[in-house]
Amino acid sequence: MKYDPSKYCHNLKKIAEDVTHATPVSSLTWELEGGDDPMSKKRRGDFCAVHSTPQKKIKGQKNQASAASPAVRARPHMVPGSLHPTQQEVAREAPCERITAQLPRVSASHSQKLNNVFVQTSGMGTTRHRNHRSDDDTDSEEEIRLLIAREESLGKTTWSSVGDSANEPFEVVGGDFRSGVPKLCSVTAAGMGNDCDYDSGDTDEIIAAKKKTDKVKNSAEFSQMEKPAHKKTSAKNRKNCELSGNCVKAQKRKTNPERAIGARVTAQCAGSASESAESAGDEEYDAMMRNCLRVQLTLADLEQLAGSNLQVPEEDPESGGDGQETTTKCDRTPGGLHRARPCICPEDIVAALLEGEENTCGKQKPKEDSIKPKFQAFKGVGSLYGKESIKKPLKESVASDNINEDQDSLKVGPGSMSMEKGSPPANGSSSKLTPLQRTKKANNPNPNQTQPQKRHSTFQSQDHKMVSPSSSEDRSRNPVSSLLPLKDKSLSLGAKTPKVGVDEDCHHRTGETGEGSGQSSSPMPGKALEGSSRRDTQGSNTNFPLSVNSWSDVRAKEKHAEDNQKRLAALEAKQKAKEVRKKLVHNALADLDGHPEDKPTHIIFGSDSETEEQSHPGEEPMKESVNRASGRLFDSSEDEESGSEDDSHRFTIKPQFEGRAGQKLLDLQSHFGTDDRFRMDSRFLESDSEEEQEEVNDEKTAEEEELAAEKLKALDVMQSVLHTTVGNSAHKGSLPAKKFRDVIHYDPTRHDHATYERKSDDKPKESKAKRRKKREEAEKLPEVSKEMYYSVAADLKEIFQTTKVTSETTDDTPSSENHDGEKVDIHHPATPTTGAEEPGGFTFSFFDSDAKEEKEDAYRAEPVKTGKVVWQGAPRFQDSSSEEEDVAEEETEGRKPSPREASLPEKETTRFFFFSKNDERLHVGSDLFWRGVGNNISRNSWEARTNSLRMDCRKKHKDAKRRVKPK
Amino acid sequence: PSGKMRPLTEMRPLTEEETRVMFEKIAKYIGENLQLLVDRPDGAYCFRLHNDRVYYVSEKILKLAANISGDKLVSLGTCFGKFTKTHKFRLHITALDYLAPYAKYKVWIKPGAEQSFLYGNHVLKSGLGRITENTCQYQGVVVYSMADVPLGFGVAAKSTQDCRKVDPMAIVVFHQADIGEYVRHEETLT
Repeated sequence: MKYDPSKYCHNLKKIAEDVTHATPVSSLTWELEGGDDPMSKKRRGDFCAVHSTPQKKIKGQKNQASAASPAVRARPHMVPGSLHPTQQEVAREAPCERITAQLPRVSASHSQKLNNVFVQTSGMGTTRHRNHRSDDDTDSEEEIRLLIAREESLGKTTWSSVGDSANEPFEVVGGDFRSGVPKLCSVTAAGMGNDCDYDSGDTDEIIAAKKKTDKVKNSAEFSQMEKPAHKKTSAKNRKNCELSGNCVKAQKRKTNPERAIGARVTAQCAGSASESAESAGDEEYDAMMRNCLRVQLTLADLEQLAGSNLQVPEEDPESGGDGQETTTKCDRTPGGLHRARPCICPEDIVAALLEGEENTCGKQKPKEDSIKPKFQAFKGVGSLYGKESIKKPLKESVASDNINEDQDSLKVGPGSMSMEKGSPPANGSSSKLTPLQRTKKANNPNPNQTQPQKRHSTFQSQDHKMVSPSSSEDRSRNPVSSLLPLKDKSLSLGAKTPKVGVDEDCHHRTGETGEGSGQSSSPMPGKALEGSSRRDTQGSNTNFPLSVNSWSDVRAKEKHAEDNQKRLAALEAKQKAKEVRKKLVHNALADLDGHPEDKPTHIIFGSDSETEEQSHPGEEPMKESVNRASGRLFDSSEDEESGSEDDSHRFTIKPQFEGRAGQKLLDLQSHFGTDDRFRMDSRFLESDSEEEQEEVNDEKTAEEEELAAEKLKALDVMQSVLHTTVGNSAHKGSLPAKKFRDVIHYDPTRHDHATYERKSDDKPKESKAKRRKKREEAEKLPEVSKEMYYSVAADLKEIFQTTKVTSETTDDTPSSENHDGEKVDIHHPATPTTGAEEPGGFTFSFFDSDAKEEKEDAYRAEPVKTGKVVWQGAPRFQDSSSEEEDVAEEETEGRKPSPREASLPEKETTRFFFFSKNDERLHVGSDLFWRGVGNNISRNSWEARTNSLRMDCRKKHKDAKRRVKPK
Repeated sequence: PSGKMRPLTEMRPLTEEETRVMFEKIAKYIGENLQLLVDRPDGAYCFRLHNDRVYYVSEKILKLAANISGDKLVSLGTCFGKFTKTHKFRLHITALDYLAPYAKYKVWIKPGAEQSFLYGNHVLKSGLGRITENTCQYQGVVVYSMADVPLGFGVAAKSTQDCRKVDPMAIVVFHQADIGEYVRHEETLT
């Protein structure tokens, strides 16, 4: 696992390791000012002896003698429990009883009980402290009860004894209190989001504290503690810069660029790792990385060393006058390797630097090797180009490469450069050259030597020359900048060392000398050299004025030079590309030209391989042309490629054929075949089959219902727990949805829905039968009890016969309709002679069957033996309601019985409804209303009657008068 | 998860009795706000018992967890606590996130006492910085730091009025659970 200081968890782990010599708690987070008095101690959370009191571990001890408690011991003036016998006894005893009752093992004696409690609870306490979650079965309430018991026993005494309760004020806030601190949890359930931040803040402090101590330990020499990271990085950079030149040199000497590159690549990991290690700035990590370096660099370095040792003799002649120095350098490198390890710490580096220039370069060589690739990103175009040139198979001068690498390292940054500048002169030997300068010296002559060999290489070397002066320019500029007041002193190590002025001076000189030597030793013609010389002069010029203006001037010039360089490089690249293109075309053309002769015109099967073999020596385009020329019996490779593309298209997953609906669609498609006209795409995709969705829905609803039921149950339980009728508001939210779901759509196919059907079928049936029954019942004549009847006395018979038959009948009319029998009874006395069939001459019933009526259709008017009718004279005044009565009275009217009686026997008329045709009764009736104009008979009779009546009246009146008179 | 073999228990809903016991405990801390946990407007949440632990889990996660066999399932949703072998419910610190926002009675403790509390100790009056008024004795309280960071659960050992009178060394809040357990009992918290 990689250590990442930016991750807090890593830091936490580190802290955990160092628990043994942990920093005091008070220094970690909160430092509360205060003296040694107990109150401030408490405030700091330092509870010394009393601290143990609140711990659960000792919770059982209160049940023992209170004197045993450390808390009690800590308070000498505490009033013993005996002083408050009643209260304390109650407080102590009652909970104990309770607890012991709950505990499984109850001993006989009370003291044993207490002991038992103590043992168990204390055990429980310890387990809780150790690992209470896993196997802790004790209930918190019991613990609390124990605590309460103890508290009460302790608390009561302390209340009375201690009167400093006012010393510790605390706020009492309302239920809806919110502090000014942004509340994390009160509003939302977000929880610990901010808490984490808070924690991290603490961790920061801890880390900072830790770092501080580390640094104090590690960098005792460093007087300035403010920017340790800066220092380290700067030191590292300096190292890198210095080393880059050396290492590259060693690699170049191998003359196997590929190997060198590989070594570099392998070293790259180590480089980045070491870099991160430096930035971390942890001693621990440094130690770790030291090991890493040892492992990773040895491989590369061994290679280098082996290569360099071999190459040194060869290179000597090449390098010309500088051979001696290079050899010595190379010899030094092994020693430097061993020393490389302790060099990581800044102080070590400083020490190493002070030790000697040769050692430094040797020491830092491996390191540089690893780190150098990291700075490739900073390279300009020119340097890139230079690198490209390294890779070229054409042999290049080692010198140019060296210079190139030098440039790379120099371009890293002015800060690092200044560091580099500062360090070598620290030795005090201005005459001595830095490795870079030395290499320059060594390399500058080289181009001269190699130039005759190859035009191309010289061109490149010229380029490099152009760059190298700029690098020297850099160097010359940096001292200037270091002298400027604006320059950050912390970046330069020299500023910290006591010999600042000297260093800079020396540095100036070295820079100048370096340039001078470079200039002098390179009598190379060309503009590059000219430019370099020009720039050198400029650099020297700028060196002396030491002003901001000049510096900026130099800067601009340099920029200009860089731009020029870039432009040149771009031109070069363009040219090269053109050449390559030309070459390609040329080759292709040549192949085309050559082929007609070489190639067999006829097709030979399997000749592809042959032609390929033939074309093997040629280049890619040629091969292609061969393939093309070989004809197209089989798909050429090109076609195959395109075909494969097509295939890949063909075999891509078509989303419309996914899923169940897609299957349907696929079937359909296969039915149509591959006809383009009937290509099924997503437009034909039906929406997911209903059944599937229904299934899913059913499942869902079932689950939901289950959950809802559960929730309801939970709510019920909650209500019972809270003893409140909550839910009204809460239910409202859930109920509407529930209700909506519960709306039942009547489905007649479902059997359980029969309950929702109204049982309407039975009722109509019943009612029909009932109705019939009712009707029948209604039709059926009510049962008449035989007991109830009118028994007419025999003597009444005579009375009726003589006097009032009519009055009798009128009284009985309501019943006569229904009660035939009675009527018969009634009428019989009046007409004993007549048969039962003609009771009152006419019977009427709605319920009588028609047949019956039909039978007696013959209406026979029979003379009713009316005898002497009392009211004969005024029948019309008898305004009876019943028609029948009228008829009866008509019949009974004794005025014209004689003519009717005569006609009666002959008259047999069919009845129409109640009356027969030409019923006399109707005529009689009409006669009653209107007799006609010419009916004199009646008038005559009336006149006669009125006369007789008048006579009677007078006579009676006279009689009465006569009777009154005598009285 | 501890290396111990746990009894193979399938996840199941709580019985009514279990629900009651648990609700009684939770209601000590959040009172009628319990309703907000049971009937949430933002989705269906339910309680599930798994390995004697009660998990508060959303319907969504519940469905996802159904894909995992019971013996392989270590945890789901948020653990609210566990049932002891005597069938009492013990609240775990993991429930704090859900209970703290709804807490009815709160206790704030001074910075100096925070550490003590987070080591599993009770809160003394000297460490008491603030307390909700009308807190009665043995009321479940949520313990906060003065910076309003929820630190754990406790039970008020004294009512608010009593707290004024007692000795500074008297316990005012009994420790129940604290966030230090995330470190101290890392292996048993799920």
